[in-house]
Amino acid sequence: MIKVTIKCFSQVKYAVGKDELNLELETGTSTLELENIIREKAKGKLDTVSLRIALNQKYIPIQTELKDGDEVAFIPPVQGG
Amino acid sequence: MIITPKELYDRISEFTVIDVRPEIQRSEFPMDGVDTIISKNGSIPNIEGLKVLVCQFGIVTEGMIIENELDDTYSLLGGAQAWIEFQSKKEDLSRWSRQTVLPEIGLDGQKKLMDGMVAIVGMGGLGCSAAQSLVTAGIGKLVLIDGDDVELSNLHRQMLHGEGDIGKKKVISAKESLSKINALTSIESIDVYLDEQYGLDLIQNCDVIIDATDNIETRQLIDRFSKESNIPMVYGGLYRWEGQVAVLNVNGSPGYNELFPEPPSGGDTCADAGVLGMLPNIIGNIQALEAVKLIIGIEPNLVGKLLMYDGMNHSTQIIKL
Repeated sequence: MIKVTIKCFSQVKYAVGKDELNLELETGTSTLELENIIREKAKGKLDTVSLRIALNQKYIPIQTELKDGDEVAFIPPVQGG
Repeated sequence: MIITPKELYDRISEFTVIDVRPEIQRSEFPMDGVDTIISKNGSIPNIEGLKVLVCQFGIVTEGMIIENELDDTYSLLGGAQAWIEFQSKKEDLSRWSRQTVLPEIGLDGQKKLMDGMVAIVGMGGLGCSAAQSLVTAGIGKLVLIDGDDVELSNLHRQMLHGEGDIGKKKVISAKESLSKINALTSIESIDVYLDEQYGLDLIQNCDVIIDATDNIETRQLIDRFSKESNIPMVYGGLYRWEGQVAVLNVNGSPGYNELFPEPPSGGDTCADAGVLGMLPNIIGNIQALEAVKLIIGIEPNLVGKLLMYDGMNHSTQIIKL
């Protein structure tokens, strides 16, 4: 098992009700699988929202295997101006 | 009391000018074009009539006058630095002395700003704030692009529009307010929404494009024009208590399409999600700050980075793109 911290921004924060989550995951879990877990927690509120993922404060373009202690941020686009 | 270099120049015969700087500064930056009396050890000679005190940047002398309750005494705004510039170029930059004193800005940086041109797409919350900051900083030219009208519901966050402006074009209302702040800035109001047909022409010759829109489609269009014209884009976006800023497309650095690849979805407008007026003003000011850094060439900056600010707990996070 690995422990990761999830930073939630904008719509993600409102959808899951927290700005930070600490989760214990199966070893070998990928960022894409974690995104699906977050979307499930959001109970449909993120179904129309595209998300970018940053791993340890750096954008990652493809799914990546998570390691113990990783910090993952889910970043939605924001429109307001 | 303060006096600008131009005012001193125009009324030079009325004043005794007292240089309070140490000898090393007097030698390196001589006050040409004016007869000065040298202050010894910071003491002010007892001289009848109007006096002007001069230090290097005009800050020390303002303090001296207040501290010593000196009558009939002025501080030269911008100090010897501003006087020397005025003498050589007949250009009075003293109003910006509080920022030219910063070593990263200086007179050279101020001149770059005054030669600089910024396009702002969207004259709502972000755009009003960014425009106001850039004009106060002395930007040379602003191109304001927006086809929208001022509405009552805009006024809580869009500082350049007032009650009497409701129904006016935002770019016209904004120009009227900005012109009162700094008449030296040239302001072009373009009363259309940025579109495929004319968009690229509108932003040509700008140094920076500030993305202050409220929809993803226009952000993507700005990104495309930014890439095609090789003009950096300063992206800003809001969601409730949070804001994002990134500096995009600088010499091949990531753009908006790399930040949020097509087709991004989600993210409500301020009208849909709600926003407190302070948020766009904070984020718009950060956009203006990054534009100033780009024009002057100051690092570090937000090139290739996404700044996320949360106004609820005042946390910031910077993500490398």
